Amino acid sequence: MMKGGFEVVHATLDMIQPHHEAIWDFASVGFPTTSTVSSIPRQIVENRCINLERNELSEWVEQVTKQLIDDLPAAETGTDYSSSMQADTSMVCEDNFAPSVLGDFRPRKTVRTSFLDGSCGEELQWGNELGDQTNNVCENGGNGRALSRLDEQGLSLITLLLECSVAISVDNLGEAHRMLLELTQIASPYALSCAERVVAYFAKAMSSRVINSWLGICSPLINYKSVHCAFQAFNNVSPFIKFAHFTSNQAILEAFHRRDRVHIIDLDIMQGLQWPALFHILATRIEGPPHVRMTGMGSSMELVVETGKQLSNFAKRLGISFEFHPIATKFGEIDITIVQVRRGETLAIHWLQHSLYDATGPDWKTLRLFEQLAPRVITLVEQDLSHGGSFLDRFVGSLHYYSTMFDSLGAYLPADDPSRHRIEHCLLYSEINNILGIGGPARSGEDKFKHWRSELARNCFVQVPMSSNSMAQAQLILNMFPPAHGYSLVQGDGTLRLGWKDTSLFTASAWTSHASR
Amino acid sequence: MKLSSAKVPKESKAASPSHGGHNQNSFHSKGRSGHTILPLQPVDELEQWSSVAVDMHNNNNHHQPQNSHTSTSRSSDYSAGGEPCATGNKWASRLLRECARAISDKDSSKIHHLLWMLNELASPYGDCDQKLASYFLQALFCKATESGQRCFKTLTSVAEKGNSFDSARKLILKFQEVSPWTTFGHVAANGAILEALDGETKLHIIDISNTLCTQWPTLLEALATRNDETPHLKLTVVVTANIIRSVMKEISQRMERFARLMGVPFEFNVISGLNHLGELTKEALGVLEDEAIAVNCIGALKRVAVEERGAVIQMFQSLGPKVVTVVEEEADFSSTRYDFVRCFEECLRFYTLYFEMLEESFAPTSNEKLMLERECSRSIVRVLACDNDQDSEGECERRERGSQWSDRFKEAFSPVGFSDDVVDDVEALLKRYKAGWTLAQPHQDETGLYLTWKEEPVVWASAWKP
Repeated sequence: MMKGGFEVVHATLDMIQPHHEAIWDFASVGFPTTSTVSSIPRQIVENRCINLERNELSEWVEQVTKQLIDDLPAAETGTDYSSSMQADTSMVCEDNFAPSVLGDFRPRKTVRTSFLDGSCGEELQWGNELGDQTNNVCENGGNGRALSRLDEQGLSLITLLLECSVAISVDNLGEAHRMLLELTQIASPYALSCAERVVAYFAKAMSSRVINSWLGICSPLINYKSVHCAFQAFNNVSPFIKFAHFTSNQAILEAFHRRDRVHIIDLDIMQGLQWPALFHILATRIEGPPHVRMTGMGSSMELVVETGKQLSNFAKRLGISFEFHPIATKFGEIDITIVQVRRGETLAIHWLQHSLYDATGPDWKTLRLFEQLAPRVITLVEQDLSHGGSFLDRFVGSLHYYSTMFDSLGAYLPADDPSRHRIEHCLLYSEINNILGIGGPARSGEDKFKHWRSELARNCFVQVPMSSNSMAQAQLILNMFPPAHGYSLVQGDGTLRLGWKDTSLFTASAWTSHASR
Repeated sequence: MKLSSAKVPKESKAASPSHGGHNQNSFHSKGRSGHTILPLQPVDELEQWSSVAVDMHNNNNHHQPQNSHTSTSRSSDYSAGGEPCATGNKWASRLLRECARAISDKDSSKIHHLLWMLNELASPYGDCDQKLASYFLQALFCKATESGQRCFKTLTSVAEKGNSFDSARKLILKFQEVSPWTTFGHVAANGAILEALDGETKLHIIDISNTLCTQWPTLLEALATRNDETPHLKLTVVVTANIIRSVMKEISQRMERFARLMGVPFEFNVISGLNHLGELTKEALGVLEDEAIAVNCIGALKRVAVEERGAVIQMFQSLGPKVVTVVEEEADFSSTRYDFVRCFEECLRFYTLYFEMLEESFAPTSNEKLMLERECSRSIVRVLACDNDQDSEGECERRERGSQWSDRFKEAFSPVGFSDDVVDDVEALLKRYKAGWTLAQPHQDETGLYLTWKEEPVVWASAWKP
């Protein structure tokens, strides 16, 4: 049990660790090989990703641009930004490296840098995913092949966007604002080119940030209903949510094997789309359904209560004995007593992470509560996107991530499809806006963990590999969504990952608490 | 407070977690400026403002949202639901007007809170409310940072760079296809011109507009199909919007070709690069003694600096025209130009109508609609965030209502009513579009015809004779 506090935890971990290293090698997986577990809950995680200090940023920029200048033909395209820079000297950093050096910047095909949160050290292909027509435009380092007009448009927009992000990262709001005025006039979110759509939304998010920056306010104001609707639309069109739901349900089902009383905590239940399927399976168990208690957490009491009603009705129809507790407070801010742990209950905590808003509050508190609750299983579905780090880290990471996401939608839906627009605008843009916002995704200045899986791994949790049944579930989901050949499903390191082409977008994993065994 | 020297308050230590270390990671690590998590007192006020937004929705919706978060990130259960703006909640209008009043009262804290709310809720790609919030916020932000003129210049130069004959033409034609906003004026003006110049053999139309000559094909056709001999038509286009200048070459080629097809003897000239419309002379326009002159002014007068408008009308008079046709949008940004709040409210009223009209006329993901909206955004910045005395030709956007233009024209001209035939033509035109559009005839003292949308007059067309 956790009663003894961290010392006990330490001891347990030391005992188990060697055993685990035999099962999988942390180093190759990319998780930190921790032999030191700090004795106090850390609010800030050690950055696996290099957090760019000023001199590192300039080195990176120099490196990349040098490569580009070597590769690209002499022809100049686009406006000469360095000459039009009228940076207010009081706000610009000392060495002015950003404007002039970036004048010719175009993203390379492969940005093989360690500063990005490379899950398993994947190669991140920046240029490739951007729009159908870019078509390996930057491949071969630009050997003088003529770029089609669309390609150039997309690339020059991305260039300007990147410059803008650098301006923001050094607090040069005046210059950023000017560039954003340009970007937001040129890029259209209804364009054929996915790159242009992405730029339109990123530019808008950064404009929003500039204004908040100037106002000195970082709190968000969120339209939950709109977000939930868009989430549902996304669920209909894209396999990611169902992937998360069904693989997690499978892991939960396995954890509930032969248990009579179960308790599920859903950290952000929204409309509870996930649970009917699980209830169905539980209802048809050989040993009969368990008594199910569900704690649904969410952003508004009214919405959570409504979800609870729907689920209760559904459970009743299936003949499942069901209790629902709504909580409209963030998980990381509640006291364990609110959760009402009961003897003899098997606890599953489910967390489908997103970037729409801060669903759980302070990360270290969330982790602490996990430890206290000692659930039989935590099903975690993470976006392969880091919420931690500096603005520029988040910018680059999310640019890559959302470009891929937009690509996946674009491969399936036409440019003028209203559903696609709703998803891109109400859902993806909300996320982008939140990630890039002042104060980080928590919009409060709190730093977020970069990588939950590694946090769990080094804090009294043991990974439960996703079973072949989970994989089968994932496969079934994929078969429902054309174009199936674009999505990539990977099983490895005990996790299941679903992505588009070469980029993993969501990773599902399951964990169990030492103390629950 | 200028944007470039904005003082962003230091991060409030009280609100940040106490576990030392890298908690600045999300912010700019130089420690030069932090970002405030609002200290406790303003939090209450912020809650207040958030609940103002919430209340607005309660007035329209029936459920009671709960604001149950107690964490540092204040989020409000806000339910606008992204509905099309025909059923919109008008939250944007209320927040914006509050903000304008706060600016006028110089209530700094209120301004900040309202701008924050608008910033969080706005989007140029969402529903009408979100769009209005976004574009008006941009103007308010420019005003507050005294960067209006610069912003306007940047916005227009970007728009001009991106403009091409194809894109401009596509835009105008698509707009005319889905909405009678512009075609109304064309049909009315053409009708008046044809009637006034009936029987003349040498016609000279001076077209002061930015409509890419989309008005003229139907007139040319009418001339060609007249019973009597086809007259000679000289068309002199005076371009006042920079964005249009670059495309006029292609236009002239097309017009000449079309006239040839119609069998109308035709001459085409373009005049651009004027500093003042009032500078125009008979000589500059190539007005000849034996010509019957018609001056056609579509949306051009609003671009004339307010103090110059009288002179321009005098100039028209000096050309000795048989008819002057004037079409302008029905809004008053002119008499209110020294009263920020009133001007703002009128601006908001007009653009709300316009955006709603666009929303109902175009498909939701239309690029043409987006371009029209962006055009509005430039005008909004111009009217609200730029000083009056910086008006140079073609940049002014101070619309006036029909009654105001009438007062001006009455100094030099007398009104001409539109004949029944023309009225019939206009009504036939309106039938080709979606419901909601009607023609309103003037009341006693009014002149001209009004196009109304959902019972609101939006465009005014009139004809004048010496």
